Amino acid sequence: MTRALFAAALAFASAAANAAFDEAELMRQLAATTEVQSAYTERKTSPLLAAPLDNSGTLTYRRPNVIEKNVASPRREKLRILADEVVVERNGQERRIAIASQPTLAAFAASLRGVLSGDSAVLRKYFKLRVSGAEEAWSLELVPIDAAVSRYVERVVVEGRGGRVGRIETFEVSGDRTVLELR
Amino acid sequence: MRIFLAGLVLALAAYAAVHAVKVENDFTAFLPNTTSPEERLLVAQLRDGLVARLMLVALEGGEAPALANASRQLAAELAKAPEFAFASNGASFASPALAEALVRNRYALSPRVAPGAFSEEHLRRALDERLDELSSPVALPTRALLPRDPTGELTALYKRLVPGTQPAMREGVWFTADGKSALLIAQTRAPGYDSVAQAAAMARVRSALAAIDPALRPTLSGPGVFAAESHRIIEHDVERLGIAATAGVLLLLGYVYRSLRAIALVAMPVVLGLLAGVLAVQWGFGSVHAITLGFGATLVGEAVDYPNYVLVQTQGEGSGALGSVGHTLGLAVLTTVASALALALSGFQGLAQLGVLTMVGILAAGIATRYLVPWLAAGRVPVAYPLPFAALLQPFGGRLPRIGVVVLALAVLGGLAATDPAWRENDLSAISPIPEALRLQDAALRREMGAPDVSYLVASRGSDEGAALANAEAALPVLEGLKAKGVLAGYESATALLPSPATQRARLDALPARDALEASLRAAQRGLPFKPDTFAPFLSDVEAARTAPLLTRAAYAGTPAAARLDALLVQQDGAWLALTPVAGLRDAAALEAALAGSASRLVDLKRVTAGMLDGYLRESSRQVAYGAGLIGVLLVFGLRSVRRALRVLLPSAAALCLTVGLLAACGVRLGVFHLVALLLVLGIGLNYALFLEAAVSNSARRARAAQALALCVATTALTFGLLAASATPVLRAIGLTVAIGALLSVVLALAWTPAERSFR
Repeated sequence: MTRALFAAALAFASAAANAAFDEAELMRQLAATTEVQSAYTERKTSPLLAAPLDNSGTLTYRRPNVIEKNVASPRREKLRILADEVVVERNGQERRIAIASQPTLAAFAASLRGVLSGDSAVLRKYFKLRVSGAEEAWSLELVPIDAAVSRYVERVVVEGRGGRVGRIETFEVSGDRTVLELR
Repeated sequence: MRIFLAGLVLALAAYAAVHAVKVENDFTAFLPNTTSPEERLLVAQLRDGLVARLMLVALEGGEAPALANASRQLAAELAKAPEFAFASNGASFASPALAEALVRNRYALSPRVAPGAFSEEHLRRALDERLDELSSPVALPTRALLPRDPTGELTALYKRLVPGTQPAMREGVWFTADGKSALLIAQTRAPGYDSVAQAAAMARVRSALAAIDPALRPTLSGPGVFAAESHRIIEHDVERLGIAATAGVLLLLGYVYRSLRAIALVAMPVVLGLLAGVLAVQWGFGSVHAITLGFGATLVGEAVDYPNYVLVQTQGEGSGALGSVGHTLGLAVLTTVASALALALSGFQGLAQLGVLTMVGILAAGIATRYLVPWLAAGRVPVAYPLPFAALLQPFGGRLPRIGVVVLALAVLGGLAATDPAWRENDLSAISPIPEALRLQDAALRREMGAPDVSYLVASRGSDEGAALANAEAALPVLEGLKAKGVLAGYESATALLPSPATQRARLDALPARDALEASLRAAQRGLPFKPDTFAPFLSDVEAARTAPLLTRAAYAGTPAAARLDALLVQQDGAWLALTPVAGLRDAAALEAALAGSASRLVDLKRVTAGMLDGYLRESSRQVAYGAGLIGVLLVFGLRSVRRALRVLLPSAAALCLTVGLLAACGVRLGVFHLVALLLVLGIGLNYALFLEAAVSNSARRARAAQALALCVATTALTFGLLAASATPVLRAIGLTVAIGALLSVVLALAWTPAERSFR
């Protein structure tokens, strides 16, 4: 009896500790960051690949709507996510794709923008959100809602510390995985 | 007692008729029996064509994500529904079966497959692209097929199959350019003309959407929707106006006879005539068209004039009067039957039905009036009270007004001849009861969708399916070239789904043998991080394709593409036709010229329609002339005097001319249904003139003739005046024409009636 009471008290205490750093708090802290410019490395692993694919460069975010991924290696490429289109620049050529034309692209853009700007409304349009951990090491799991997205993307796990995003890992249904780390 | 008995017999007969008669709804019954292959193609397209089965759906009333979500769910629901062959919202081909068929046959289908397409160099380039895509969020959807399809054949295929002009995309589905409505396109299983099945399909869309999100509103459009709407509007109109007209006529009869028995006497011949007419049509044609039934009731309804005339005209005279009245009645009936002869001989099956119904109905009503009504009355002729305006109907004969009318009528004829095609209606859509707003909305939706309109088809003929497809393939470069020049917006070819056997063979023969392909692939993969056996499924797919039998229609069985192919590849007169609907054609002459000399021809369905209607109008005019001749002969023999015959014929003919002139002057374009109405005017006019002519000898009779005429004109003007208020152009045309015609007829018949003293 006492043991059961003790266990319940413990569970309550840990829940209360978690509640101190919840989704609202995470979003508040993320939103406080107005500009990010940092080097990143990205690694793609796939059952189809003998060795992982790496690329690196800088990721830029400026409030409210600028997101740029400048790939420096293995070759130069620039990916810009605008309000309603994604612009890919490579070899001096520019390709524009309307975000709305593909649900998966829309979800991808929303996940980056929502996380970097701390906009939970944008995230919730496409994902179920689950926050765990504490302020110095939090984790945000995004699970797609729409079947058109969940056919391809299993989940996205974002990790960070305070208002800074440190790692974004995408799990695809195909078994492919992409890890993006910010320094 | 006799009336009660007769009523009972009639009720039983009506009950039997309701069960024996098969009512049909196919509006194409009102199209002529076709003669040229193009006309047959047109009718087949209108009935069963792909375009006639397309339903356009727009969802409104929510934010874009909610609309897109509803659009996806609705597409999935409709794809499962028994009423639809397929539904698409641009997201993908909604059917997994079709995707599977396309994947399996991608090498036979892809125009990129040619000798050298799988060389090391090409493969290397393809693999480089795939590797790039692997780390890009843009190519996620094609990732699953990568091991089978490293050259991206399926993606290229999809791009080709999706119509060239696509609506705007939002949230992954089609939207209007303004982003306010999500768009879907669905193909019904039932043909477009089947208004009952189309209404069921519409109900399915509405109920499915209500279950998904009741806040959203659907807008439905397309030929099938129009058919269902027309049916609803006409039915509603006929019902509403029919009730109003019946009530009005009963009120009039009530005023005149003030006896239920008398009203029953008057109604009996009409009911009997209608029954006889409907049964005759059922017997002769195997079914009765709904429109025939509606109009036939109107035409035979005129027979109410006969008992009215007989009852009023024999007031206060003994049974001997019935003999002389009966003679006039017989002539009136026979001339009306003769005027309906033109209809009965019509090439339009629907109009032929109408003619037979009228002839038999009028004849039966006439006989009933002559023999049944006196027997039922059993010597007690009901008292008829004159209508207040009967006294106005006095002859105002004299040479001058008559000459004036004849000159005017001749002037009208001259004017019509001079401005000939301008006053003729040759647009089929003009007879549709669909309000202008709905038609504009359909055109707008069609533009947004890039859906083909019903106007232009490229028809490629061949002795068998393969030859027709090969000829259609030969026309594709022409179409592609003109599309690049902006002459046309897009086209949909059956060959995208089913290339000709020769083309398929050439493509499959171009595929390399397994060993060669494996070697090229290994070389192409060198230095790339793909695992060595990643593309084993690709190797076996290509090998399987090389030895697979050619793709046939059967590959698409059970998929949405089956219906599409059935519509685009049709058999006609022992030959095969591959049809390529063309969207947004700006210069038909340019396309026609570009196709000259090939096995493909541009079919302008609007022009064929116009030609067909024009030809019909011409043919009918000839038949009407024969009818008029017959009427003249009948009158001369019946009245035993050319002079008296002219006295009947001239005012009727003049009334006809002036009615046409009046309508044309008001800018009304005259079509097939006006012709029906004009025949009715002729019949009515002859009746009036005959009734008056028979009464000239005696002033008491004359007063009663005026009285009978007043009642006839009042019922006609009432019934058809109401029709003129209808929302259905067809009904409005008939209503207006007959109301004007009847009034002119009575006035002119009075003008030709000699004053008493001049008659000897």
